[in-house]
Amino acid sequence: MIELTSWRYDPVRGEYGDADTQPEPPAGDISAVDQFRSKTVLLLGGTGFVGKVLLSMVLDRFPELKHLVVQVRRRRNMSGEERFRSEILGSPPLRSVVDRIGVDGILDRTSVVEGDLSFPMCGLGDETLARLKAEVDVVINSAGLVEFDPPLGESMITNVYGIRNLIDLVHALDARLVHVSTCYVAGKKSGRIPEDTPIVGYYPNRSGPDDMSFDVGRELAWCEEFIRETADKIAERDGGMERADHWGWMNTYTYTKSMGEQLIAATPGLRYAIVRPAIVESSMEFPFPGWNEGMTTSAPLVLMGGEGVKAWPVRKDGPLEIIPVDLIAAGILVVTAARLADRSRPVYHLATASENPVMLPRLVGFLGTNARYKHKHKKDGNRLANMWKAYIETEVVSVGKLDASRKRVRWGLDFLQAAFSFLKVILGARIMNPYLKSLRITRRQIRQQEQTLDKFLPFMIHNSFIFETGNIRQAYGMLTREDHQRLAWKPEEIDWADYWVNVHTKGIEKWIRPMFAREVRAADHG
Amino acid sequence: MSTEKPLKAAFFDLDGTLLSCNLVTTYAYYARNDRSLLKSAYQFVKVLINVPVFFGLDLYSRTLFNVFFFRAYKGMHRDRLIGLADDLFEVTLRRSIYAGSRALLEETRAQGYRNVLVTGALDFTIRPIDLHFGFDEIICNHLEFRNHVATGRVLPPLVAETGKAAIIRTYASQEGIDLESSCAFSDSTSDIPMLKVTGHPVATNPTRRLRKFALRQGWPVITLRDRGPGSSGYFPPFLRNPLATDQSG
Repeated sequence: MIELTSWRYDPVRGEYGDADTQPEPPAGDISAVDQFRSKTVLLLGGTGFVGKVLLSMVLDRFPELKHLVVQVRRRRNMSGEERFRSEILGSPPLRSVVDRIGVDGILDRTSVVEGDLSFPMCGLGDETLARLKAEVDVVINSAGLVEFDPPLGESMITNVYGIRNLIDLVHALDARLVHVSTCYVAGKKSGRIPEDTPIVGYYPNRSGPDDMSFDVGRELAWCEEFIRETADKIAERDGGMERADHWGWMNTYTYTKSMGEQLIAATPGLRYAIVRPAIVESSMEFPFPGWNEGMTTSAPLVLMGGEGVKAWPVRKDGPLEIIPVDLIAAGILVVTAARLADRSRPVYHLATASENPVMLPRLVGFLGTNARYKHKHKKDGNRLANMWKAYIETEVVSVGKLDASRKRVRWGLDFLQAAFSFLKVILGARIMNPYLKSLRITRRQIRQQEQTLDKFLPFMIHNSFIFETGNIRQAYGMLTREDHQRLAWKPEEIDWADYWVNVHTKGIEKWIRPMFAREVRAADHG
Repeated sequence: MSTEKPLKAAFFDLDGTLLSCNLVTTYAYYARNDRSLLKSAYQFVKVLINVPVFFGLDLYSRTLFNVFFFRAYKGMHRDRLIGLADDLFEVTLRRSIYAGSRALLEETRAQGYRNVLVTGALDFTIRPIDLHFGFDEIICNHLEFRNHVATGRVLPPLVAETGKAAIIRTYASQEGIDLESSCAFSDSTSDIPMLKVTGHPVATNPTRRLRKFALRQGWPVITLRDRGPGSSGYFPPFLRNPLATDQSG
């Protein structure tokens, strides 16, 4: 009789192996189940992409959870409670949990407080504070402004001043803190990024631990003066990016996020753990495959690839540090359990490349096959252009080559513009205006694509990161086997081809493309 | 003694049985969608030259054909095979699905059969087909890869001919399926061993040789090819009358 072997693809080695010989990860004695049974969690940023999946996962995986308090910001005429019901409980990632245990079942185990990071004590009143002080054991902060290049002041409100208020709150509650930051606080670096680099005084261009040029206090004073003197929002935006670049950060977001971390790490007696996710992408399995709502993910690139962009300036030997959002949620819960047991480390990278890297040229290939599929079956648009986009493959190019081809395109467009304007004089505006208009639209589209691509260049070609993830691996190993059934930290099992093609790309087409199309329409009318 | 009703399954072949494609059309698709137009053209010419060889081998031995055929995938990257699977389905497979296939699968499911696909086709091409039909179980071939690149070999056990029969037997014993009350559907004589394993073999869109054989054996013969969706007249007798197979109840 034939032996029916169950083959299992090993995505790291790129070959099949026997599924029955997979070793189980080591387990330890910290029980996340026990921790959550006896401890109360306060969650900030529950309306965000990560926050909602995290919330959904806690409710789904830990029915014995003692209590969860969710802080939600009031928005105009909507109270925090209303937003919790409509924007959180009514959202797709919560649907399966709501269906299973019902809104009442969730409200039995959760409560909502209205608050705002930008106010002292996060905007909580004395009465609420007194009540929470008796209850809350750990604060998870996943709130943050993730826009790469907002005006400096806006970024600081949430990512720096918000953290100051957060620290006061955690002190007042006598609780522990799990703070969600980003791997990219490392700044413009290349190679393996360790987790044990000292946080206080860090800046990417730092020459060593003795280099004391960067000091958050002094830096804040500088920022405040700069913002006071700068009236114009655009100048404030550029100023933020320039200041970030001066120290070696790639944008205002990572610069302010690092300052937030430094405030936390510099606070004496604070029991904290900082979780740094890499680029957070569509969910792999939970709450369902392909859930995505983040625009600061690789979504713009996938959408551009779908539009038929062919030349991609990426490193041939570098990985893209992407990670599915459900792994992030699981990772945060693992760290929270370790923090509650007071056996955590200061920093946890949540990333994939150190164990299971997906190289950039592979992603460019996926963008190519997706474009082929889309343009073959596209019903509208120019048929010849569709064929071109369907049968010409994406390619990896150097920045120099990209610049040259951009220049050629610009010359071509300039030539057309001149020709159309000339014809307008001869043939009249009525005939030529539609052509000129479509030329304007094409120009704008190309400009937008160039801008999007430029924003991602630091991640694709200027730097090549591999974030070390030994700490989360160690924390996962401290949890019990029972916890491992509920929370999976298994980046080595991501089959990138299946994930990118069948989960991530489809998730973006389903959840992000409509959002993006609305934004474009709004821009067209505006 | 178990009082539970024994599990029964319906085993389906794919190519020629539920749709009209075959392994070569699938491969030809990948060949003509290579990374550049020039490479595609080269690959496609290679396929054309190979077609008579494939055809001859297929007549001689399905197993040998398979071994020879999968060698053509050597050097292809798994990313591309997966990345183009949806397009392959839209371009070649979807339109080749027989009109009556879905109704048959719905009927077997409704009558308590576990729908099992047993095919020599490759896992990545099956995925969209599975999304379309929704099988309970899929037994198919897997290419061997080294560092994500196909080696040209297939992982054992090779799903073909007598291999299919052995695999079905193993599967049935693992899952506790009663083969006597199970049924099997296929179109070609190479699957006779697979058909014979179950109590209810059905020649489905049979080749002339299989039709002759089926008539001699007294097996039902059905055609899914030209039947309008929704009609249910041509199912084999044991499906039309559930009591005929429902021995325990």
